[in-house]
Amino acid sequence: MTIRILSGAALAAAMLAAAPAAADFPDHEITMVVPFGAGGSTDIVGRIAAQALSERLDVPVVVENRGGAGGTVGTQAAAGMAADGYSITVATTSTHVVGPLTNASVRYDPVEDFAHIGMIAETPYVLVVNPELGVSDVSELIAMLEEAPGDLNFGSAGQGSTTHLAGLMFLSATGTEMEHIPYGSNAEATTALMGNEVQVLFGSMPAVLAQIQAGSIEALAVGTTARSPELPDVPTMQEAGVAGYRASLWLGLAAPAGTPDDVIASLADALADSVADADVAAQLASNGADAMAMTPEEFRTLIAEELVTYGEIVAGMD
Amino acid sequence: MELFANLATGFDVALSPSAMLYCLIGVTLGTFIGVLPGIGPLAAIGVLLPITFHAPQTEAIIMLAGIYYGTMYGGSTVAILLNLPGTAASAVVAIDGHQMAKQGRAGPALVMTTLSSFFGGCVAIIVVAGFAPPLAQFALRFQSPEYFSLMIMGLLAAAVLVQGPFLKGIAMVLLGLLIGTVGQETISGLPRFTFDTLYLYDGLSFVVVVIGLFGLAEVLRNLALGADREKVDTRVGWRELIPTKRDMKDSFMPTARGTGIGAFLGILPGAGPAIASFVAYALEKRVSKNRRNFGRGAIEGIAAPEGANNAAAQTSFIPTLSLGIPGDAIMAIMLGALMIHGLTPGPQIIQNNPEFFWGLIASFWIGNLFLLLLNLPFVGLWIKILSIPYSILFPAILSFIAIGIYSLYREPMDIFMVTGIGLVGYLFIKLRCEAAPLLLGLILSPLLEENLRRSMLVSRGDPMIFVERPISLIFLILTVTGVGLVLLGSWRASRTPQTEEGSAK
Repeated sequence: MTIRILSGAALAAAMLAAAPAAADFPDHEITMVVPFGAGGSTDIVGRIAAQALSERLDVPVVVENRGGAGGTVGTQAAAGMAADGYSITVATTSTHVVGPLTNASVRYDPVEDFAHIGMIAETPYVLVVNPELGVSDVSELIAMLEEAPGDLNFGSAGQGSTTHLAGLMFLSATGTEMEHIPYGSNAEATTALMGNEVQVLFGSMPAVLAQIQAGSIEALAVGTTARSPELPDVPTMQEAGVAGYRASLWLGLAAPAGTPDDVIASLADALADSVADADVAAQLASNGADAMAMTPEEFRTLIAEELVTYGEIVAGMD
Repeated sequence: MELFANLATGFDVALSPSAMLYCLIGVTLGTFIGVLPGIGPLAAIGVLLPITFHAPQTEAIIMLAGIYYGTMYGGSTVAILLNLPGTAASAVVAIDGHQMAKQGRAGPALVMTTLSSFFGGCVAIIVVAGFAPPLAQFALRFQSPEYFSLMIMGLLAAAVLVQGPFLKGIAMVLLGLLIGTVGQETISGLPRFTFDTLYLYDGLSFVVVVIGLFGLAEVLRNLALGADREKVDTRVGWRELIPTKRDMKDSFMPTARGTGIGAFLGILPGAGPAIASFVAYALEKRVSKNRRNFGRGAIEGIAAPEGANNAAAQTSFIPTLSLGIPGDAIMAIMLGALMIHGLTPGPQIIQNNPEFFWGLIASFWIGNLFLLLLNLPFVGLWIKILSIPYSILFPAILSFIAIGIYSLYREPMDIFMVTGIGLVGYLFIKLRCEAAPLLLGLILSPLLEENLRRSMLVSRGDPMIFVERPISLIFLILTVTGVGLVLLGSWRASRTPQTEEGSAK
C-alpha cells in the first residue's frame, strides 16, 4: 500500500516536473531504441518512422540499435529510460507479446511498464510452400495434411518464435498435423524451405517477399485480415477458409511508463500523420510492411488482447 | 563471352569517379577501423551503416563492401603485430603471424597477408562473376544433414590445429563446445546457463570471447613479463620488409589451396566463412613440407588462412545477392542496406539491376586493388607501432578494446565479461593451453548441435540420413579418412622400431 502511494507520488512528481517541458516538446533530439540489430526488418521500419517523425517534430530522431534475446534486451533497457518523451522504443509482437510470454527472464510488463504511442505498420505472415509440393491453395494443403498427418515439415525461426506460433495457430484452426523444425532465423528457415527440408513455412513478409516474386517459393495465403498490397492475388487466410486466423507481426512505438500524457499525445499525432503519408507508406511497402495507424489506447488494448490469444497457444505448446 | 560483357558493364559502373571515391573511402575507413583492437567487420559495418544511407544506392553498397574487406585487412594487421585478433579469421592468422613479428619479420608477414588476400579475393571474384546463380542453387542442397557432416569435418580440423599436448588441445575444443551451449537453445527454446539473465540469452558474444582470450590475455602476459618483454627489432630496412623469393615460393601453393577452400566454404550460408580460415590452416599443417614450423612463424600459416578468409568473404556474397538470404550477421546488415536503398535482393537482382550487381562485383576487384596499394606503403608505418613503448601502447590498447566492445551492443556487461575472459585467457597462457582450438569449438558447437537435432527431426529419428545423402556422405568419408591418416601417422611414429611386427597383425 505504502509502496503504491509512494510510486503514485513519484509519478505525480515526475508529471509535475515534466509539465513545463511538455508545452514546448520536443526541444532536443529524441532517441529511438530499435531492439534489434541494424539492417534487420525492424530496424528498417524503425528508421523509416524515425525519419518521418523527425521531419514532423523538427528535431533529430536518432536510432539506437540494442539487439539481443529476440528484442527483449533493448526493450528492457527502454523500459528503464527517462520518462520524458525523449526516449522511445520500437514495440513489436516479439518484444511486447511473444517475448514476455515465452522468456522467463523478461522483467518488464509489456502493458504496465510502457506508455504506448501508436502503430507504424504490420507485416503479414505468409503461408508459403515449396513449389515441388504441388499444392496451389490452402484447401489442397489441408487435404494433403489430412491424408498423411504429420508427414510434412513446417519451419520456423525458432521454438516459441512468432513464426512458430503462427504455424501452431494454423494447425489448431484446421485440426491438422505437421512436424515442426525450428531454425535460428527467418533467413535460415527460408533457405530450408527453398531446399525442401521443410515444405511449409509461415514466413514474415520481408523475409519471403523476394522469393515469392521470383517464384522459388509459392504463397498460399496471408495471415492478415486484409490482403497485402504487395501480394494482391494472394487470399487472406480467412478468405481461404481458415476462420478466425489472424497472424501478423506489428511494429509500433512506445515510451517508458510515466511519460506525460500531452507528450505522448504530440508523439502520437506526429506518428499518425507519418503513417498517413503516402511516401512513408510506399517506403514501408517496399520493405514488406503495410502502414497502419492506431491510437495509444487501441495499441495498448491490442497488446493486452494478443497476450491472451498467444498466451493460450504458448500454454498448449509442448 | 557473356561473362566479359557483364564484367564490362560492371567496370563501367565501378570505374565512375563517384564509385571509385566511395570505394576508396570505404576501404580506407575499413582499414583504419579494423586496425583498432576490438573492432571487427561487424562492429565497423554496424557503426558506419547509417553514413551510407545518404549515399546513392550503388555507391552506398560499394562503400559498405569496401568497409567490410578493409576491416578484415586491418584486423589481420593488428592480429599479426600485437596478437590482438578481433575475428576468428584473424585469430588463425595471428598464430604464425605474431610469431613472425616477434622474430622481426613483421614486414614479410604483413606483405604476404596483403598479397594472399589479394590473390584470394581476385580468384573468388571470378567465381562470383562467372558462377553465382548455379552456385547459389548448389548451396541450397546443403541442408541440416550436410551441415552436420561438414561440422564433423570441422572437428577434425580442430584436432589438427592443436600444437602442444594432444589431450590439452582436445580439452580446449571440448571447453569451446561447452561454452557454445550457453544461451537460448533453438530447438527447444529453453535457456541454458543463462543464470536467469537476458544478457546471456544469445550466448556469449563471440567478439567478447576472442578479444578476451587473445587480446586482453596478451596484454596481461606482456605486463606480467615486465622488463623481460621480448624486444622486437623494429629498425628494419626496406629490403627486410619485403618477403624473400623463398617466402613467395613457400606461400604460393598454400595461398592457392586456401583460396580454393575459402571460395567453396564461403558459398555456404552461416557456417562457411567462419570455419574457412581454420580448415585452410589445418589442411596446410597436414600437407606442408614445413609443417614442423607451424605455430613458430611459418609463412604458410599466414598465406593459407588469409587466402581462404578473403575468398570466403567474396563468395559469401553469392547467397546474399542471388538468393536474398544472408549468410551471417554482416551479410544481414548488407542485405538490410540493400533494402533501405530500395533494392530487392533475390534471384531477380541480376536481371533487374544488372548495373548494380556487376558494378558491385567489379568494385570488389577495385577495392582489393586499393587495399593492396594502400597497405603495401603502410606496412612500414604499421611496423612503427611496435616501436611505441609498451607503457604507452597498452593503455591505448585497453581503451580501444573497451570502446570497441561497448560500441558493438552498447552493453556495459560486455566490458566486465571481456575482463573476466581476459583473466581466464591469461590463466590458459600460464597453463600452456591454446585458445585457438577453443575458438573453433565455440564456433562449431551450436552448428553441430542444431544441425544434428534438426536432421533427426527431419528423418523422424533415423540416423541413416547422414549416409544416405551424397554430400553428407562425402564429408563423412573425408573425415574418416582424415582421422585414419592422423591415427596411422601417430601409430607409425610410435612403432617405428618394430615395423614388421606391426604390419604382420
